[in-house]
Amino acid sequence: MMRAEPWQTAEVCGPKKAQSLEKPVVVKALLKKAKHPLLVVGANSLTEQTRKKSMIDYFIEFSENWNIPIVATAQTIKAFKEKGFKNVYSHNAMEITYLLTDPEWMVAPKKGPHDLVMTFGFPYYMEWLMLSALVNFSTEMKTVSLGRYFQPHASWSFPNLKKQKWNDALKEILTKNGGKK
Amino acid sequence: MQNLAEASKLKGETATISPIFPSYYARKWKERTTLTEQKRARIRADRLDTGFGSFRNVEVSIGRVIDEDWDEPMGPTPMPEVTTLRDWDHKLLKRYQPSYMPACQLCCLCTFGKCDLTGGKRGACGLDIKGQSARIVLAAANIGCAAHLAHARHLVDHLIHEFGPRTPLTQGEGVDIEAPVSRLVTGIRPRSLEDASSIIDYCETQLTHTLSAVHTGQEGSWLDFESKVLHAGMIDQVGMEIADLVQISTMGFPQSDPEAPLVEAGIASMDQSKATILCIGHNVVPAAAITDYSMEHGLQDKVDVSGICCTAWDITRHDSKAKIVGPISWQLRFVRSGLADVLVVDEQCIRTDIPLHAAKVKTPVIATCDKSCMGLPDRTNDDVDAIVADLVSFKVPGVFIGDHSKVGEVVVKTALAVKPKRKKKSSLPSKNKIKELAQTCRQCSECRRACPNDQPVMEAVLAASEGNFGPLVDVYDECIGCARCESACPNEYELHSWMVTAAKDRWMNESFKVRTGRGAIKDTEIRAVGQPVVFGEIPGVIAHVGCANYPDGGRAIHDMAEEFAKRRFIIVLSGCAAMTVGTVKDEEGKSIYERRTGAFDAGGVVNVGSCVSNPHIAGAAIKIASIFAKRNLRGNYEEIADYILNRVGAVGISWGAMSQKAASIASGFWRLGVPVIVGPHGTKYRRMLLGRADKAEDWKVYDARTGNQVQIAPAPEHLFYAVETMEECMVMTAKLCFRPNDTSRGRSIKLSHYIDLHERYYGYFPDDVHSFIRRESDIPITLKDKIHVHMKEHKWQEKPIPDPTILQRMVYGGGDG
Ligand code: SF4
Ligand code: SF4
Ligand code: SF4
Repeated sequence: MMRAEPWQTAEVCGPKKAQSLEKPVVVKALLKKAKHPLLVVGANSLTEQTRKKSMIDYFIEFSENWNIPIVATAQTIKAFKEKGFKNVYSHNAMEITYLLTDPEWMVAPKKGPHDLVMTFGFPYYMEWLMLSALVNFSTEMKTVSLGRYFQPHASWSFPNLKKQKWNDALKEILTKNGGKK
Repeated sequence: MQNLAEASKLKGETATISPIFPSYYARKWKERTTLTEQKRARIRADRLDTGFGSFRNVEVSIGRVIDEDWDEPMGPTPMPEVTTLRDWDHKLLKRYQPSYMPACQLCCLCTFGKCDLTGGKRGACGLDIKGQSARIVLAAANIGCAAHLAHARHLVDHLIHEFGPRTPLTQGEGVDIEAPVSRLVTGIRPRSLEDASSIIDYCETQLTHTLSAVHTGQEGSWLDFESKVLHAGMIDQVGMEIADLVQISTMGFPQSDPEAPLVEAGIASMDQSKATILCIGHNVVPAAAITDYSMEHGLQDKVDVSGICCTAWDITRHDSKAKIVGPISWQLRFVRSGLADVLVVDEQCIRTDIPLHAAKVKTPVIATCDKSCMGLPDRTNDDVDAIVADLVSFKVPGVFIGDHSKVGEVVVKTALAVKPKRKKKSSLPSKNKIKELAQTCRQCSECRRACPNDQPVMEAVLAASEGNFGPLVDVYDECIGCARCESACPNEYELHSWMVTAAKDRWMNESFKVRTGRGAIKDTEIRAVGQPVVFGEIPGVIAHVGCANYPDGGRAIHDMAEEFAKRRFIIVLSGCAAMTVGTVKDEEGKSIYERRTGAFDAGGVVNVGSCVSNPHIAGAAIKIASIFAKRNLRGNYEEIADYILNRVGAVGISWGAMSQKAASIASGFWRLGVPVIVGPHGTKYRRMLLGRADKAEDWKVYDARTGNQVQIAPAPEHLFYAVETMEECMVMTAKLCFRPNDTSRGRSIKLSHYIDLHERYYGYFPDDVHSFIRRESDIPITLKDKIHVHMKEHKWQEKPIPDPTILQRMVYGGGDG
């Protein structure tokens, strides 16, 4: 395991730094506690290689298991729609970041306001900035970055995991067997 | 003046110019200016006898410009000061609110700090994180504006020195409104270099004020910081416009020419049998001195001059035989290739470590601009031959020469003499050497971690250690040439050079054609397209501008430009974006410039020129208001910006925006009501300006006919917006072209593009279509059935089409807003 430090050079943050996500069970605990969680996925989800399933399939399974709505940014929405998945909403990455700083905002009636936001699939620097907006302007919100690399502005983030280990952790969080309530 | 004239026993013409505009505005003007600024007296005399002696052909001018022959009435805000347009800014910022993504939550600007601004804490000066974030945006806009303004000041002073203050300014035939932005902002028609200088005086004063607001304990409100951002952006547009106008008028550039020459670009376009000179930067004066010297001395067969970044555009505008190497991101690869015999750097966006890399290939560096002396010895006042001798013997790696007339001679002589000595020495390693070195890679991933584009550099190095160079070529294709990977490498591998070696076949053969910058859009072209643009029948004007901070070498810009040109939008380009768009060729080997017209018309692909040419794009929008809609533009900023916001479907795209200059350029467009999209790295500007489509109360305008407040669709939905992908950019571009004023026919055309692109890339019918349909006739005929179902689902109701304005005073019969 690598140290919990920003993955990309110089992307250090201010005084508040994410907690290192050592055990996927932490995420399950956060999910159980959350009233209106939301998953926000970016276009890198379309190309990210995992062992067997596409990330989109993982997310659909996760959403169905926990009844979590998904915001898919850019053309990521197409992959969800093609699979007939309905609990998905289209927003731009900047737009959803801004909307989430409004404590009243919800992705659909009765599905918010959101107290837990999970992110995946953005360029490292972009997710870094999106989470910076949330840590500064949505101070009550918990955020979990599901990517391999440490995102210092999240509440919780993996500490730059080796691919295999990260795949295992994701599987545990996202799949039905791994992610049973 | 009269006294001076009398005292000087004047023989010849005397003119005293006084304000001619209506008394109300004259009063306002007086409030804002000193007595000497109101009048400009010019004295021309065949012979002038003074106490100091007798002078022939004298011309004296005192005071500021007031144009006595211009009958357009002065608007309410000539030469606006920092708070003059604050109300307008606040209106914009109420609808398009800043969304901050701080890159740092600390402030260390003064000795009270460092201050921790997290979790609502305030710094010792009272500033919170929102204020601090806005302050950083203002700092960037100020820096960008200063870079252009200093460039403009240098050009104006230099050209006055060369040609005299009364040298007339022109954009060429078919252009009466020669400087729409300057007219709009200052109320002045710049007709001579001297007028241009007065306008720059005004800009310099404004910039001093917006810059001072960044100081500790000045502005504290994010809203007012943001208003000042817009002010700096507007001033930047004026400064750039003047810079381009003066060089177009005096340096033999194309003048609003849709058929400006197609020029050669790409590394292979350089003739390596000649002594090669590479000019990097933005200020054409030193580069022009070089081509002029080589032409005057009949050395064109022996010397090849090329450029990188905007100097490349402007040198080809001055001399169409000059070549374009490529955008800003190609500096390092070209310098290390050793193909340049002399490097000339002027200003803005040059790599600050150029002398280090040039020394390794024995290429002498000539720094020519006081903004970037690069630590080189000042040889401005030395004998030319002595300087050349020192450079050619490699006694000094480079020199600073502040006198442009000397630059031409030194550079050409040095290039000719040094070429046989340095024999195109390159610092690129051989493939064998790379393979050998790569064996000792520590597999630490530091290279990848340093890469802003997350390129698999380590994997490519490991492949190269086994003799497989394909992955290094793949990295080259996505590389922006920043060399951060090699800075990070503990083994000190010159990793960027490795990629360049691996991809040598590619870049050595790269050659393409681009149309050089045409300058302004003709008034006659505006007359022809004004109505279809305002009514929406030409669905939009899309401007690709700015730097090359994108990993795909310009393919995305090309594909977007081609897609929208095919859809009969007008495509306008400038800067590095305008260069890289040409790198993609069709099956016949033609670039987009060879395939498409350079006229400002549906389907045209129009290169206006360099960074400082951007105001021609803003100017086209302003001229639509002035020429087509016959609105007065003189000192009438708010009304024209209101017109553009509500009626002109223009969108700026800066796919690879990198610099603070790009930030100030965008700010100038925002204040005019033109939305700007940036590519993924543009998120690092850390602040978006976003509308809330879900808040109906944010989308109201006055109907100028009735004075009633009318609900409109969220259009344009955002003012500043970063996208993740090209596909997303295309969908959003189509959407950001909607304007409240679209006619039904225009709206239906715009809707059909938006729906088509949305279905193609997002895979479904967009669920906000109903909000853009005001009446049945807005519906595209071919989509009628689908849209009817959608409208029913959303309980659609007919809405009025207003004569839209967000300024209450624009309601016919008045109002006081
Ligand atoms: S400028 Fe203000 S916030 Fe910044 S260090 Fe000084 S006191 Fe602190
Ligand atoms: S030089 Fe190219 S590969 Fe290296 S860090 Fe920069 S973009 Fe990445
Ligand atoms: S930084 Fe250098 S040593 Fe480390 S993995 Fe990259 S190439 Fe190898």
